[in-house]
Amino acid sequence: MPEKTVVHDDPMLIGPPPVIGGWQSFKEFVYNGDKGTIFGRTGLSWAKIGVFYLIFYGILAAMFAAMLLVFFQTLDPRIPRWKLEESLIGTNPGLGYRPMPQEPNLDSSLIWYKGTKPENYEPWTKQLDKFLDVYRRPGLTPGRGQNIHNCDFDNPPPTGKVCEVDVKNWYPCNTENNYDFHKGSPCIFLKLNKIYDWVPDYFNDTSSLPDKMPNKLKEHIKNVPQKELNTVWVSCEGENPADIENIGAVEYIPKWGFPGYFYPYENSEGYLSPLVAVHFVAPRTGVLINIECKAWAKNIKHDRADRLGSVHFELMID
Amino acid sequence: MGDKHGRSDSYRVATIPSLPDDNKTADGKAKSRRKNPKKKGKDDNLDDLKQELDIDHHKVPIEELYRRFQTNPETGHTHARAKEFLERDGPNALTPPKQTPEWVKFCKNLFGGFALLLWIGAILCFIAYSIQASTVEEPADDNLYLGVVLAAVVIITGCFSYYQESKSSKIMESFKNMVPQFAVVLREGQKLTLRAEDIVLGDIVEVKFGDRIPADIRVVEARGFKVDNSSLTGESEPQSRSHEFTNENPLETKNLAFFSTNAVEGTAVGIVISCGDNTVMGRIAGLASGLDTGETPIAKEIHHFIHLITGVAVFLGVTFFVIAFILGYHWLDAVIFLIGIIVANVPEGLLATVTVCLTLTAKRMASKNCLVKNLEAVETLGSTSTICSDKTGTLTQNRMTVAHMWFDNQIIEADTTEDQSGVQYDRTSPGFKALARIATLCNRAEFKPNQEGVPILKREVNGDASEAALLKCMELALGDILSIRKRNKKVCEIPFNSTNKFQVSIHENEDANDPRMILVMKGAPERILDRCASIFINGKEKVLDEEMKEAFNNAYLELGGLGERVLGFCDFMLPTDKFPIGFKFDADDPNFPTSGLRFVGLMSMIDPPRAAVPDAVAKCRSAGIKVIMVTGDHPITAKAIAKSVGIISEGNETVEDIAQRLNIPVSEVNPREAKAAVVHGSELRELSSDHLDEILRHHTEIVFARTSPQQKLIIVEGCQRMGAIVAVTGDGVNDSPALKKADIGVAMGIAGSDVSKQAADMILLDDNFASIVTGVEEGRLIFDNLKKSIAYTLTSNIPEISPFLLFILADVPLPLGTVTILCIDLGTDMVPAISLAYEEAESDIMKRQPRNPFSDKLVNERLISMAYGQIGMIQAAAGFFVYFVIMAENGFLPGDLLGIRKQWDSKAVNDLTDSYGQEWTYRDRKTLEYTCHTAFFVSIVIVQWADLIICKTRRNSIVHQGMRNWVLNFGLVFETALAAFLSYTPGMDKGLRMYPLKFVWWLPAIPFSITIFVYDECRRFYLRRNPGGWLEQETYY
Repeated sequence: MPEKTVVHDDPMLIGPPPVIGGWQSFKEFVYNGDKGTIFGRTGLSWAKIGVFYLIFYGILAAMFAAMLLVFFQTLDPRIPRWKLEESLIGTNPGLGYRPMPQEPNLDSSLIWYKGTKPENYEPWTKQLDKFLDVYRRPGLTPGRGQNIHNCDFDNPPPTGKVCEVDVKNWYPCNTENNYDFHKGSPCIFLKLNKIYDWVPDYFNDTSSLPDKMPNKLKEHIKNVPQKELNTVWVSCEGENPADIENIGAVEYIPKWGFPGYFYPYENSEGYLSPLVAVHFVAPRTGVLINIECKAWAKNIKHDRADRLGSVHFELMID
Repeated sequence: MGDKHGRSDSYRVATIPSLPDDNKTADGKAKSRRKNPKKKGKDDNLDDLKQELDIDHHKVPIEELYRRFQTNPETGHTHARAKEFLERDGPNALTPPKQTPEWVKFCKNLFGGFALLLWIGAILCFIAYSIQASTVEEPADDNLYLGVVLAAVVIITGCFSYYQESKSSKIMESFKNMVPQFAVVLREGQKLTLRAEDIVLGDIVEVKFGDRIPADIRVVEARGFKVDNSSLTGESEPQSRSHEFTNENPLETKNLAFFSTNAVEGTAVGIVISCGDNTVMGRIAGLASGLDTGETPIAKEIHHFIHLITGVAVFLGVTFFVIAFILGYHWLDAVIFLIGIIVANVPEGLLATVTVCLTLTAKRMASKNCLVKNLEAVETLGSTSTICSDKTGTLTQNRMTVAHMWFDNQIIEADTTEDQSGVQYDRTSPGFKALARIATLCNRAEFKPNQEGVPILKREVNGDASEAALLKCMELALGDILSIRKRNKKVCEIPFNSTNKFQVSIHENEDANDPRMILVMKGAPERILDRCASIFINGKEKVLDEEMKEAFNNAYLELGGLGERVLGFCDFMLPTDKFPIGFKFDADDPNFPTSGLRFVGLMSMIDPPRAAVPDAVAKCRSAGIKVIMVTGDHPITAKAIAKSVGIISEGNETVEDIAQRLNIPVSEVNPREAKAAVVHGSELRELSSDHLDEILRHHTEIVFARTSPQQKLIIVEGCQRMGAIVAVTGDGVNDSPALKKADIGVAMGIAGSDVSKQAADMILLDDNFASIVTGVEEGRLIFDNLKKSIAYTLTSNIPEISPFLLFILADVPLPLGTVTILCIDLGTDMVPAISLAYEEAESDIMKRQPRNPFSDKLVNERLISMAYGQIGMIQAAAGFFVYFVIMAENGFLPGDLLGIRKQWDSKAVNDLTDSYGQEWTYRDRKTLEYTCHTAFFVSIVIVQWADLIICKTRRNSIVHQGMRNWVLNFGLVFETALAAFLSYTPGMDKGLRMYPLKFVWWLPAIPFSITIFVYDECRRFYLRRNPGGWLEQETYY
């Protein structure tokens, strides 16, 4: 309350303001011809308060921008400030799959099409074409494929170089073959989430594979050459007993996992995630199949609800 | 009923239903503001009162009455019958005014204010959840969770307010039960001491001096029985009661004594004719409870504020609901946005904060002898612009005290102060000795036993108020009165009666050398003078000539003009030849001289003002509060007291004074020239309400004398009509309607009647007017501090709402969740907001005008502009800065955040790419999001530090104000500790989705905190430099 100078001898002289009806007072609030006020203020008053807030917010915005700018100076454009455990991304990568449902069904993870109708599966194959474009034409990547290194298990890429992922010869999972969608045996591409500096801890002792690992994969691992054990293995299975029945045979192209020479990811120019095309050879049609694909390394933990170290999608072919 | 408006018209008016136009006009005019829907009920009520007053209990022969109540005058009721009657009629006590049922109060707390808005939010949550549950297989339980939390919040805050409310009303209850009343009742031939509530109709009760009459009784036999009807009429003149039926009007007849009045003298036996609510007292109490009181000013302010905030919430909510639709969001998403906006907008903890602040002040006031019955009344005194004060007992000490004496042809001033700190006078002159002897001997008053330790002036006395005054005065001057009386044995006495207007007694003389007996007489001065032939001056007896009579007259007029009750004193030494020792004096047919006596002097008495009152009145003046005296007493006395306490200040004249000074008729004086006015009750009765308004408007110093309860009501209504917030003080039942009608009724804790306490909002435990000043000060302080507290709390609304707006408009991941908002509103903000109630005043709040209830709002546009437009925006900037920092440090640069919301929130997307090419699973990025919520929350806490410090003052610099408010300092530590606790306690990620923060994430908000502090210090510096300037008009709340 401002310390007013006493205008009246007697404070009681100030009577109650006249009572005006709701609509009338609203109209007077919007425009009062007597006082020349619009929304309770005169033009000059509006101008003053407007200028005040303009300056206030101007300075505030400038300050905000300046602080953000200063902050950005402290960031490295290629290396995240926090890595692995330090960062909230953690050390447990998940898996991603393609193709995915797009807007407006972004919340869904169902791949549903009619194998007999090209126009029905085309959106899916087109998406895959687009996704694989950058793999097929290295010139599209940043650095235009300059630093591609011919990688092998014996020959990991030096720092700054990246490995090539050759997707052209992955028959039947190639664009010319419609990724086998038209035959009702679609190829779904899997990739392991990139985490800066993350290095897999491989199962290099074939005698102590985890119990939960599918037997087929175990057998496969036991048969690969020693150097190829440096692989993040991949397995896809039905989630429930019914799904396991319906899923049918599964093939992994080109290999049964992601070769270890792709790791660690260091945000090098032109780096491309290794891919595995999962070919569902003969899934049962007309039913929805819940599929869970898991990545296998010692330092990958699995959690179905949080989709840790795994990915979930549904497949339905009519 | 008789038509004469005698002395008792005060209670008569209260019970006459159809008082002329005045009342109706008053009501009618005020209707627009203070609606009176019970008007009709009130009339009915009053009609009832009239009907029930048509009793014949005082008229019928007493035997008839015994028959009617089936009682035996010798033995009283049998126990069985008494029990039967008690069961039939209920206890003999006033039914407390109808209380709102507890569950209604509870529901008001549960659904009032913001609660409704939050309920809507909770219900929307449940709806959203049930829809999700029915459509999606594994629904996110977020909405269910939030709905439960919201409902819990509403219920808990509702219970809390209810608890506070009931606690403060319990204080009152305990107060009420403090003094149980007992009465002596005849039952089955035995005298029993029963609780007054157990008395039934027809009971034979015995009453003696000092008792409170336990019910309305008809006196059957009386010995010198006198009652003090002041609790009914406000006038404390004792009235005698006997078995005679003297007046048709039950209120004026001598053979009735009324419930809750006091017996001051003598004893009586009576038969109970009405009990409890049927008593006269019960009926006036009924009149008071029939009045409805308006909302308290603070309740209006809070409603205004709730409307404002609810308006903003609904406006924003609906706007963004529509925008969300236009942007193509699913309607369920839009509903969830709506919930978020409601939760962000409503300051959930604020009403609880206000309640706590008021409670704290109420406690502080209680420790200063102001007991507040109704929490909201705490602030009312602070906004009070007019105080209508009763005189007796509030402004004055409520005990007659000798103020002046006239002997030896000079006026001597006696000491009337409560602690005897005043001037002393010469007690050795023969004139004083003679006067003192008469005052001591011709006096029937006696101290009650066992009061040795009590100061003389405070001792209780049996007897009439004037005699008590003389007794005390003499005890002070001479010492042990009892032994003086013993040495001068009383031989004969004629008590005071209204026909001779004197009292005379004859005593043996203690002087051994003088065998003469002495006759002492006191009474109305002119009557005494008539009986005198000589006058005792300077130790010599002189003939009472015209000159002396002139001197007497001047003294008498002067003392009378002071509003004092004057008594004349004379004595006579009875010659031994005619009246030897052992002479049989006959009091009924005086056989001793009663004229030709020796005049000694005058003594005058007044009920003197309390010591602290003049100071208190002056403080009220400087605080811009008008003090009006409303009393049932004589205008002259009223005016004298008004002058001595400063209600009529020195040099201010009434119309009559001006007329006297200029020697012109009253009608020729321009009433505008007189600042002061003394209005007589009979004048007031003639006045139209317009005329009354004029008096109230044009005179700053007003005394209403000889007013009835109904007139008190009219005066209060008149003041309220002028827009004043009126406080009424009073102690009697006659005051209770006015107490009820006032914005704040203040009753007296010691002298006050139960009915007045019932009607009041506040009770002065020490009966001292000065305590009101404390109340005003506390009330003003809490109003200021509530403003600060609200400004503090509202500020954090902007950083709470803006994340939602950005979320909807820019499609970024949500920067601040609803649960974290609740953590701020109900967690970290609570203690600091409450601590502002402990803030000291910035300047002398008693030197400014009372707030204008129509323009000085608790929450005004300037407060909103400051809180929302300026400080809140800086806070929001701080929150977003921290949000962007954490997002960027983890990999999501601001540019990449825009438009990412749908993928971010989609559980199906398990590989969302950030600015560094890393791919995030749903869970990891949600962890990141919740970490951002936590950081945003922490940054709000950090900017609220600065906000709390700047809210300490509205004008002064913090350097000036200091940081001595330790509760507030604790609040700063507390909110920080709580924020750290919420962030770092293991398990919070599951419970509240709060994640531990890196230490560096506490820091980015600090520059903004400093900005807030510096900005506001600069603003206040400019404010002080340019008082009344543009910035003040726009930002000083």
